[in-house]
Amino acid sequence: MKLIEALNLISQDRDGAPLAVGLACGFTPLHLQTFLHAELQQLFQDRSIEIVTGLYGDVAGTLKETKGRNLDAVAVALEWEDLDPRLGIRQLGGWRVSSIEDILEASKLRLSLLERLLIEVSFTCPVVISLPTLPLPPVFVNVGWQGGGSELLLRGQLASFVSSLALQPRIRFVNEQRLHSASPFSTRLNVKSDWASGFPYNIPHASALAAMMARLVQNPPSKKGLITDLDNTLWSGIVGEVGPEGVSWDLDHKSQAHGLYQQFLRLLSEEGVLVGVASKNDPAVVNEAFKRGDLLLSAESVFPMEVSWGSKASAVSRILSVWNIAASAVVFVDDSPLELAEVKTSHPDIECLLFKVDEPQAAYEQLFYLRDLFGKSFISQEDEIRLASIRQSATINAVAGDEEGFSEELLEKADAELVFSLRKDANDTRAFELINKTNQFNLNGRRVTEAAWLKSLGDSDRFLLTASYSDRFGVLGKIAVISGSRNSVALSIDSWVMSCRAFARRIEHQCLNFLFKKFGVDRIGFDYQSTDRNGPLTSFFQNSLQQTPAPQFEISKEQFARVSPKLFHRTREAE
Amino acid sequence: MSEAVNLPRLMKCFAAVFPNLSEESIQLATPTTVPNWDSLASITLINVIEEEFAIEIDPEDIEHLVSFEKVLNYVSTKKPALQ
Repeated sequence: MKLIEALNLISQDRDGAPLAVGLACGFTPLHLQTFLHAELQQLFQDRSIEIVTGLYGDVAGTLKETKGRNLDAVAVALEWEDLDPRLGIRQLGGWRVSSIEDILEASKLRLSLLERLLIEVSFTCPVVISLPTLPLPPVFVNVGWQGGGSELLLRGQLASFVSSLALQPRIRFVNEQRLHSASPFSTRLNVKSDWASGFPYNIPHASALAAMMARLVQNPPSKKGLITDLDNTLWSGIVGEVGPEGVSWDLDHKSQAHGLYQQFLRLLSEEGVLVGVASKNDPAVVNEAFKRGDLLLSAESVFPMEVSWGSKASAVSRILSVWNIAASAVVFVDDSPLELAEVKTSHPDIECLLFKVDEPQAAYEQLFYLRDLFGKSFISQEDEIRLASIRQSATINAVAGDEEGFSEELLEKADAELVFSLRKDANDTRAFELINKTNQFNLNGRRVTEAAWLKSLGDSDRFLLTASYSDRFGVLGKIAVISGSRNSVALSIDSWVMSCRAFARRIEHQCLNFLFKKFGVDRIGFDYQSTDRNGPLTSFFQNSLQQTPAPQFEISKEQFARVSPKLFHRTREAE
Repeated sequence: MSEAVNLPRLMKCFAAVFPNLSEESIQLATPTTVPNWDSLASITLINVIEEEFAIEIDPEDIEHLVSFEKVLNYVSTKKPALQ
């Protein structure tokens, strides 16, 4: 982004709800502030962005100030002089051989202080950190092409600082490798600007850094599923022509890109990404190919496998139906532009990617693009069991046959257990993730920022209910979240989401049942809002509770008891 | 490049840094007539102009660039250096 574009972006009046982001840096924030504001404005178009800065040369002081400011996020741009002013080029007199040991000692203490403050701030909102991006000054005694002992000790301190913070759930670091691509190291420092105004960055560097920090603040939900073609995509060759032994994915056959792609899909599958196959092929031949012991993506990691001579768009439709997720959460990869166009026409929201068979560099770089689409900070327990639970849902659906929902007999024999928890755990990323990813069973489609979520957890008038489900077909994990406030006679629910994997099991009824009993209230109010995608929740209220929901409505205990179907789950409350 | 060509480009730069100024006010702008024209705005304005015209402005020249008209004369005499 050019500076003039950023200035024009931030000068436009916005009426949306404020999004306040702190910017902590030891230098004059100047254009970094402008670019961060502009990048955030692009990512949060319905919000009114406010950037809150601190004192020059005092990152620690700025962090202390942010704690009482009700910010939605804090971005921290560290540079070497924040560890010790003698590592900058604006302060004179500190470059002495006798000072080196003292610089190392001071930086260690400063990093320790910053570590403590950053963790404290992360209890209230997410924190985005950029480690020093500029070259160290020639303060150490070794020649420039030699990694000297003191410099390595300093970098070691920084590595230790990162490793202790990286496990914190709301602390996110700018990826240095990606920053190097966007902003070459040798072009970042602007000495003239540093001396003139205290702003040390060249403008393109400030732009690149701000773009990455803004994305980390946004932390968008990742895609959920990938549907891949087989011939000349998962492997090289057309299996129907050359046979299962004729397809390849290795260096010897000049088809390494396919091997890397297989390996990457296996990795995604292990991370909880759903991987499906849509291929025009003979199922028996494909089945044989998947029996090859050297295939890096096993058949067990793929579900469903849609192999037929029918259209790809229809195959994709069936896969989306089994996964029960929106097309916008899915990527389709194929080597044929025609097939991609067909799928895109039928499913405009799906992201279609051409597998670049004959371009090794491009094929490799595409993996980085996929990583960006599917990346996440942590793998949750739900991620680990997602594929198994989708398979189990398919099994139970098959047992249920074509009936809408499951039969009384099936529900009764499912041996289902629901475990409720009212524990407010700030580190429970699953509850936060469900609220921000779920569309179909969602009370109002409202998303929350991490800062707002943490604030809500700290509010003693508010409750949080999570529900975990399992039955004889398997474990679904934590699948429902309800949040709201209470008084002596009523509950008021403003957030209710349930994973689509848990539909048709009467879990929603059991959740309300639990709330009426647990809180001893006579009424529950709902802050309902119809959205383009929350039809399943609306149907629940319409069908089960015989009520077309209004934006604000209540259900009484008696009313609910009259319409609630028989519930078969064993229930208990987690300790 | 001529002042006629540079005028609208420079107007864009001033409008980005001082978004509340009308077109007429921009052409009469000086640090006295524009309250927001402080040292940080001056740095931003210089950087925007450097970017727009692909020139590098010498630090010693900056203190003389104290009106729209003077900046227009200045950029019209500079040759692009950064392209």
